[in-house]
Amino acid sequence: MFKVRDNEPDYAFIPDVKASKCSQHGTPIQLVDEKSSELAGKSLNINGDDGVGENPNRYKQHGFHFTADNCIACHACEAACSEKNDLPAHISFRSVGYVEGGSYPAYRRVNISMACNHCEDPVCLKGCPTRAYTKFAEYGAVLQDPDICFGCGYCTWVCPYNAPQLDLVKGQVSKCNMCVDRLEVGLKPACASACLGGALDFGIIETTPENRDQAKLDIPGFPTPEITHPNIRFQQTRSLPNEMGRADTMPLRYVRDDKASGHYRPTVGSATSEDGAVEKRQWNLKKLSSRENPLVFFTLISQAVIGAFLMLFLGPLFGFETLSYAQHPVVYTALLFALLAVEGGALGMSTLHLGKPHRFYRAFNNLRYSPVSREVASLGLFYGLLGAYAVTTLGLFNWLPDFLVATLMDVSGWLAVLVGPLALYAMHKIYRIKARPFWNHWQVLTSFYGNMLTLGALTIALVYAPVLIVQGESIQPLMSVLVWPILLGLLMECAGLFAHARYLVCRGDEAAASHLLQRTQFGNTYRARNVGLAAGLLAAVVCVSIGADGGAGLFAWLLVAAIIVTTALVGRALFYVLVIPTTMPGAFFWRNAGFQEHARESGLAEMPQAGVLPHEHYQKEALDRAAKELREDFATIKAQGFGVSLRRLKENVMAVAKSCFA
Amino acid sequence: MLFGRQQKNPIKLPDKEVVEWKYTTCGYCSTGCSIEVGLNAAGKGVSCRGVGDAPVNQGKLCIKGIFEYELFDTSNRGTVPLMRKKPYELYEQTSWDQALNKSASEITRIQEKYGRDSFAIVSTGQLLTEEFYTLGKLARGVIGTNNYDGNTTLCMASAVSGYKRSFGSDGPPGCYDDFEDTECLLAFGSNLPEQHPIIYWRLRQALEKRKFPIIVVDPRVTMFAQMADMHLPITPGTDVVLLNSLAHVILKEGLEDRAYIEANTTGFDDFLAVVEQYDPVTASRICGIDEDTIRNVARLYAKAGSAMSIWTMGINQSTHGSDGVVGINSLNLITGNIGRPGGTSLSITGQCNAMGTREWSSCSGLPGYRLLEREGDRNHIADYWGIDADFFPKKRGLAQTDIFPAIETGQIKGLWLVATNPMTSMPNTARIRKTLEKLECLIVQDAYADVETTEYAHIYLPAALWAEKEGVFTNTERRVNLVRNVTEPPGDAKPDLWIFNQMAKRFADTGRNKIEFPETAEQVFEQLRELSKGRMLDYSGIDYATLEKQRGVQWPCTEGAETGTARLYSDGKYQYPDGKAKLIPLPFVDNNERPDEEYPFWLNSGRVVEHFHTRTRTGKVGNQNKFSPTPYMEMNPDAAHELGIEHMSYARLISRRGDAVVLVQLTHRVSPNQVFIPFHFHECVNRLTLGLLDPHSRQPAFKQNSVRIEAVADQVAAAATNRAARSF
Repeated sequence: MFKVRDNEPDYAFIPDVKASKCSQHGTPIQLVDEKSSELAGKSLNINGDDGVGENPNRYKQHGFHFTADNCIACHACEAACSEKNDLPAHISFRSVGYVEGGSYPAYRRVNISMACNHCEDPVCLKGCPTRAYTKFAEYGAVLQDPDICFGCGYCTWVCPYNAPQLDLVKGQVSKCNMCVDRLEVGLKPACASACLGGALDFGIIETTPENRDQAKLDIPGFPTPEITHPNIRFQQTRSLPNEMGRADTMPLRYVRDDKASGHYRPTVGSATSEDGAVEKRQWNLKKLSSRENPLVFFTLISQAVIGAFLMLFLGPLFGFETLSYAQHPVVYTALLFALLAVEGGALGMSTLHLGKPHRFYRAFNNLRYSPVSREVASLGLFYGLLGAYAVTTLGLFNWLPDFLVATLMDVSGWLAVLVGPLALYAMHKIYRIKARPFWNHWQVLTSFYGNMLTLGALTIALVYAPVLIVQGESIQPLMSVLVWPILLGLLMECAGLFAHARYLVCRGDEAAASHLLQRTQFGNTYRARNVGLAAGLLAAVVCVSIGADGGAGLFAWLLVAAIIVTTALVGRALFYVLVIPTTMPGAFFWRNAGFQEHARESGLAEMPQAGVLPHEHYQKEALDRAAKELREDFATIKAQGFGVSLRRLKENVMAVAKSCFA
Repeated sequence: MLFGRQQKNPIKLPDKEVVEWKYTTCGYCSTGCSIEVGLNAAGKGVSCRGVGDAPVNQGKLCIKGIFEYELFDTSNRGTVPLMRKKPYELYEQTSWDQALNKSASEITRIQEKYGRDSFAIVSTGQLLTEEFYTLGKLARGVIGTNNYDGNTTLCMASAVSGYKRSFGSDGPPGCYDDFEDTECLLAFGSNLPEQHPIIYWRLRQALEKRKFPIIVVDPRVTMFAQMADMHLPITPGTDVVLLNSLAHVILKEGLEDRAYIEANTTGFDDFLAVVEQYDPVTASRICGIDEDTIRNVARLYAKAGSAMSIWTMGINQSTHGSDGVVGINSLNLITGNIGRPGGTSLSITGQCNAMGTREWSSCSGLPGYRLLEREGDRNHIADYWGIDADFFPKKRGLAQTDIFPAIETGQIKGLWLVATNPMTSMPNTARIRKTLEKLECLIVQDAYADVETTEYAHIYLPAALWAEKEGVFTNTERRVNLVRNVTEPPGDAKPDLWIFNQMAKRFADTGRNKIEFPETAEQVFEQLRELSKGRMLDYSGIDYATLEKQRGVQWPCTEGAETGTARLYSDGKYQYPDGKAKLIPLPFVDNNERPDEEYPFWLNSGRVVEHFHTRTRTGKVGNQNKFSPTPYMEMNPDAAHELGIEHMSYARLISRRGDAVVLVQLTHRVSPNQVFIPFHFHECVNRLTLGLLDPHSRQPAFKQNSVRIEAVADQVAAAATNRAARSF
């Protein structure tokens, strides 16, 4: 147990006060019945200590209370947290940012100290594919186990509060642990005990600390509590200017909405520049490259492969004989294996996005909740079916009864046709995140399916057209069919993007801020992408209508393909770099994306004490770590014996399977 | 509800495996927080926490204290003495013997050639009191230079001077407990929440129990200004006018404490004659605070049952710093607000032991608030040290800010810097460089080998820091507290006390005065007790064990007393020979470098909470430094827009001294004709500052300078210039 000092000051103890029955969201505050529940009375097993805490309110939901009027941004809470959790400078479980408004001297700054809110509906827990997260009956703490985490960072995408922290150096996420060791002995978390301004406090949720009256659900700058029902309450009684701006470079400000009882609405444009919207249009092509580069290729390739397979399998059934096995058996099989190889490469590449690529198999752990798990599982299934189908075309099974081979072929083929698009649907669900309004639109689906059609058709064309030319045949019949999915895919993409842009403008908030970015910082790139889409569409129509054929025709179609593929790559890269999460406002240096970028460019980031990691080159570290940990795994397996290892594996698989239906 | 998995996995939390907590006192600012340093089994400091029952901080620590254990591990600590013949040569490692011998022989050579006062010593507010006393003994009693001062001239000299002028002696009369009793708090140029967060927390605690008005006078909308009930955004450098006018209203309306004035002060008539000239209308034209507000504040303050004033650098660092302090003291004298619960004039001090150096270092006189100018004091100390009283000069020599000009013009040829970094902290960096390069011998004694001043040094002596040694600090409220030796210094770094004692030995057989230098800090402390007995700053009831037990004791603490004394002058007896305080008239002459057409902006400087002074320590602790890893300038968005300067871009500032590039943060915290830059950073704000000297305290006016500001076209080059100046 955490050691309480003899001279521990009173303010450090959580007051034992009467709690209400339900939270403002209508959820019971008593999490389990402490007499009857099998979850009650158990040790938290903190660092091997099997004691059970004697906190009288152990099974009540706890949370933070923040008096925004009082916070002075002294960093004591952040410091106490980083000290206790031994965090390096570039990571912080708790951060203080601020919004400010008014004009000198009628100026007001509201500081906001924020960590994990141990939400009623923890989206991190649901999103995590490895099931590294647990919401405990004890205090309602949402805890994450860095040892289980494989560093995909999906929790950092879904959390509206920037609570989970992805450490690129360690390749794993860690986060606020509510100082459950302190709670077990009745002490407030380190941050709340350290507060010097009378701002941050802690207790059973919905109880207001001494001398405080309010327990509001939000304050200006705080993302809407609707997403996760966070366990933090606010007091903010002092009047504020009508408009509050941010000190970081996120082009957002917060405007008072008197219709919504003085609630502050996030609005596009920065308060510090006169008019954010008239900024210059730029290219910033270098900035298109991000940590998500593997995902740019992985998503596009997967979409192309699924599209190509659909056409290859369904085409002949709909009378498109050119694509049939019978007409080009070698090409057909070769293409299938090429698709298999390319998709295998893409899947492999997607693991490079992980902090611990060698732990990729943990992606299946949370099929019940995580869209990532579902995507990986369905894509894996598709991959298996594609493989099975490809193998059956090899003629290796001629010794089996014909009908059996045919059935095998049909079943694997049809299942792949079914699972492929479902996998893309699952893939799109990954991006439908409330905390990332730029992504949370059906355009993601039209984009993914659109690219499936366009890139799938182009993949087929890329293989079959040269074959036909070599054989001295016309490519016109082939292209006049393939042009339809190409056009349909492009039109879907266009329609989606058109609706998306309108949605971004209408929504206001972070979505509009993303839109501002795509019209300014990436303005030229954005335009070029749009022009590219139109050009691809037009060029395809022209090629097919003039009946482009022969070597020249092939060349023309290659040009069309080049335009379309480049556009798709740029578009997908934009998709990742433009997203602005609904996170808390940063400060001028800390948690300011603009400063972090500047620090990397100017070399300030080379000093570790600047708290900004230099340019991201952590893949080598990730691979080194993988090699080391795998060696350790082999050693363990060797030590405990193969049989034992196999039994453990079986147990783990069963546990995962059980969790899907629990 | 166990959501996410069927069975509980064990929880792993970071554990620093502390096996022992050692008591000490924080070594940053002068709040005087009691800290426990957690040591692991290997004896390494791995954690810090506030001492739960300490009267000052009651378990709390600010960001600097929380990470203070990391100092033991910071980069570029000096671990071995270094020497070189010329500053343009490379350093060579050497032994302590050689470094000390060379230092002593250089001091002797320079003094023999150019005179006793041609070698100067500038120390700090960072050492332990026992070390200050020992250095003073060495400087005054053995080396015998009269050009010996501390860097406290840059921070608290005006408070010292003001206290001396008003009360006849230095010594802050109040304490933090006054917050619990006061009915009105007036803060001048003090930003407690960011500069002294623990003192602010004490104020907050008092406010949670009982509401009383807070009035903050500051040209910038600091966090304190926002938290205040009234914010008076004063024109820089005009506090004396406001103070005169407050007194004017109080006297005009008969709100003064007539009985107190008559019983305990002198000089009322002269005071009144000057104050009469500052009616609120006249004053409002100068200080920028409207007449109604002046009257309102004056009435509020005078009518409060008890009222207190606090101030920091906003007052001290100006050409009217000493006058400002005197003005605040007079305001409290005419309202009877000295020495009573909730009524006081409390300077909020800067460095951890600025008070210790004021009391015991002999910088501005002789130990124990004794003066060189008083024959009795000279005789007493000469007797105690066993030397001839005539060895002491009869008048104090140059202050720190006059020592540098004397180097510039050749009167001083050698300098010993102890734990101070004028290359970053002094105004007008270019002039400091030009000054330091003229020295025939510069000895730099510091915990860090990369302190910028080593660029010009001949000898570098690596020192221990903070709890790598033992001794006492005195805090803002006169509380003496104990720094226990928690761990050993790295490599061959040595406690400053050891260095001074060893240096003294080098002079022992050179025909100079022979004085006894006790080996241990506790033995030195015995001398402080003896020397303070019966005086205002009486230490005779204090010993190390009591200090740790009571978590600090406020002097005076007479022998046999259970504990110290919360307030001075409660009996109305002051330190002037007649026992009365002086009301001093303060005619105002505006000699500030005011903005004009060519240089249209006020340039202000100050602290941020995560850094301390010239960042030699805090710039190396990532979890502090990350909150401001590079300098920045607060600038009003309207002003910036006119000049085409953008948020998060570099701008160039030009003053009559030089230029600087700095990252711009646009905020309405500052007025359209003022900018603010933190003073912690090398090659930044002090390239621009003038630092006119206060006539009484010799403290520079860091906060009232004028500059021109330009947008920078080549942002990449500006960023590179800034990066090049950040070695840490």
